[in-house]
Amino acid sequence: MRRAAGLAVCVGVLVLVVLLSLCVGNRWVGAGDVYRALLDFSGSDTDRVVRYLRVPRTVAGLLVGAALGLSGGLMQGVTRNPLADPGILGVNAGAAVAVVGAIGLLGVHSLTGYVWFAMGGALVATVVVYLIGGAAPVKLALAGAAISALLGSITSAATLLDLSTLNEYRFWVVGSLSLATGPIVAQAVPFVAIGTVLAVVLGRSLNQLALGDELAQALGTRMHLVRVLAGFAVVILAGTATAIAGPIGFIGLAVPHVARRIVGPDYRHLLPWSMVLAPIVLLLADILGRIVVRPAELQVGIVTAVIGAPLFIALVRRRRMAGL
Amino acid sequence: MAAVRVVAAVLSLSLLAGCGPAAEADSGARSITVQNCGIDVTVDGPPKRMFAAYQPAIEMAHALGISDRLVGTAYLDAEVLPEYAGAQAKAKYFKNLPSREELLSLNPDFVLSGFNDVFSAAGSDSSFGSRKSLADLGVRTWIFSPLCPTADGKGDEAIDPSTVSMDNVYADLRDLGRLFGVEDRAAQVIADQQRRIAAVETAVKDAPRPTVAIVRPGLEGGQLTVSGGPDFGTVLIRQAGGVNAFADLKAKRNVKISVEEFIKRDPDYVLVSGCCDASLTPAASQPDVDKILGNPAYANLKAVRGKRVIPWLFANHSAGVRGAYTTENLAHILHPDLVN
Repeated sequence: MRRAAGLAVCVGVLVLVVLLSLCVGNRWVGAGDVYRALLDFSGSDTDRVVRYLRVPRTVAGLLVGAALGLSGGLMQGVTRNPLADPGILGVNAGAAVAVVGAIGLLGVHSLTGYVWFAMGGALVATVVVYLIGGAAPVKLALAGAAISALLGSITSAATLLDLSTLNEYRFWVVGSLSLATGPIVAQAVPFVAIGTVLAVVLGRSLNQLALGDELAQALGTRMHLVRVLAGFAVVILAGTATAIAGPIGFIGLAVPHVARRIVGPDYRHLLPWSMVLAPIVLLLADILGRIVVRPAELQVGIVTAVIGAPLFIALVRRRRMAGL
Repeated sequence: MAAVRVVAAVLSLSLLAGCGPAAEADSGARSITVQNCGIDVTVDGPPKRMFAAYQPAIEMAHALGISDRLVGTAYLDAEVLPEYAGAQAKAKYFKNLPSREELLSLNPDFVLSGFNDVFSAAGSDSSFGSRKSLADLGVRTWIFSPLCPTADGKGDEAIDPSTVSMDNVYADLRDLGRLFGVEDRAAQVIADQQRRIAAVETAVKDAPRPTVAIVRPGLEGGQLTVSGGPDFGTVLIRQAGGVNAFADLKAKRNVKISVEEFIKRDPDYVLVSGCCDASLTPAASQPDVDKILGNPAYANLKAVRGKRVIPWLFANHSAGVRGAYTTENLAHILHPDLVN
């Protein structure tokens, strides 16, 4: 009950952060003007900035944050590895190499085009990692690292050989929310929804998985199925996040740990908390990035790395990470 | 600036003549030293094997009439100007910059670069190596002086805005004319540039001065890249009777700004700076123009409402012998009733 109340408070904070994200930018837009831009659109500059720039960006922050938080929590559960994040399954590297291929070989130049290649690349990379690594967490992590390194070197080679590809690809090196437009965000909604449903369904099974393979099996958990479903959810969620915003680090890794410290290791609580906390952190990082280096912006991927790294180190040092 | 350079050149010449064996006159060749970006460039007789990197260098070589001395050309941003098309068709061309090894295998005695990154020691992967390391091998080098890097070698970040002027292009033409023994041709080119630019400046003298933004197509990391104060576009826009809408951003040549900042500045004209291919024409940027025109966030911009978003070329706003062409081209865009 207290957990539910706490979660409700978090949702309230998230709503405030969303409002802040609509108000803050190159120029401050008051809450009244935001309201008018949303419900009484007159086509003024302010209305357009809010509706066509800040709304898509904020919704992207919500979706990407939720997706990263959930997929990070799922990864840590399914691999029983406290340092797991989607990158370990080769999701980021797979998405990146597919995007570079799409730009360099197929001449795809629109973000809506990249999205599908990013998803496909993430999926293929993850399947390959699964085929090589199998079910054991350690082998899976090793296979993921190896495949990521391989794909990363292919990406580097391709971008070195073709400068114009490199220029377009740079977006994929550091994540940003500001490329999101209404249609792209709308495309992403069903994917995040599917991933969320899967995560909710899997919560109980992940708790049993945390007890160790033998015990989980004894309790009747179909481990292989759980792993495949969780992997599928991770690919969908992390792939969508990468497709909208490029790679954003630390959110998927650090937020589930924060959630774990607050609500404990029960995945039925940890996953929803991660899903609400992650967009709060991501949007705050994005808001900060909009104002620190005006008239330019600091990409959110840089902000999360700069803030997230020390935060994570502090977290690890202050208390030994709770058992998974 | 130009005067200082000439004095420096004369000084170093007289010093050499006075006490150095390097200037032995009886070898038949005339030794000339000219300073470029703070580095002494000395040739014993006109160089015969030039490598030209980037559009401005390639076009300058053709303008100086030394196309037949080109052992290679690399990295065009767009089609060369029509008057150089014949000469460029005969030149060896590299789509990307060659590696240092490949460059040296062409056995050049002079490398002319239109931008300052090719000689940075730790810069791009396609760096030719530092100017000193090339000089040690007998390869003289030249960077267009509106783009001189400062001593820390930081390239774009370190341009002194006061050096960004046509006068410095003329100084380069004069200096290269001396080094290559084509002074008369250089003087002709300079006179032609000055005459054409002066004609435009006179024509637009009393016209209102619209603000102009030069933007790269697309978004990089969700931001727009525009030409800031130190970009040569600032000079060219001014000559054509306009004002660079981002001239006050002086930290770099290419400045990243948020989309919201772009909307706030609301420039009168937007030029989409298309790049980089040897057969590129302005029309290639039309899809990017259409994207800007169709973006609902931009619908209130003056340039969008007046359909004054123009497909354009990165090559047009580089420092070099395109100066006169671009000034005319821009003036025709900004003041069609005054300049045709």
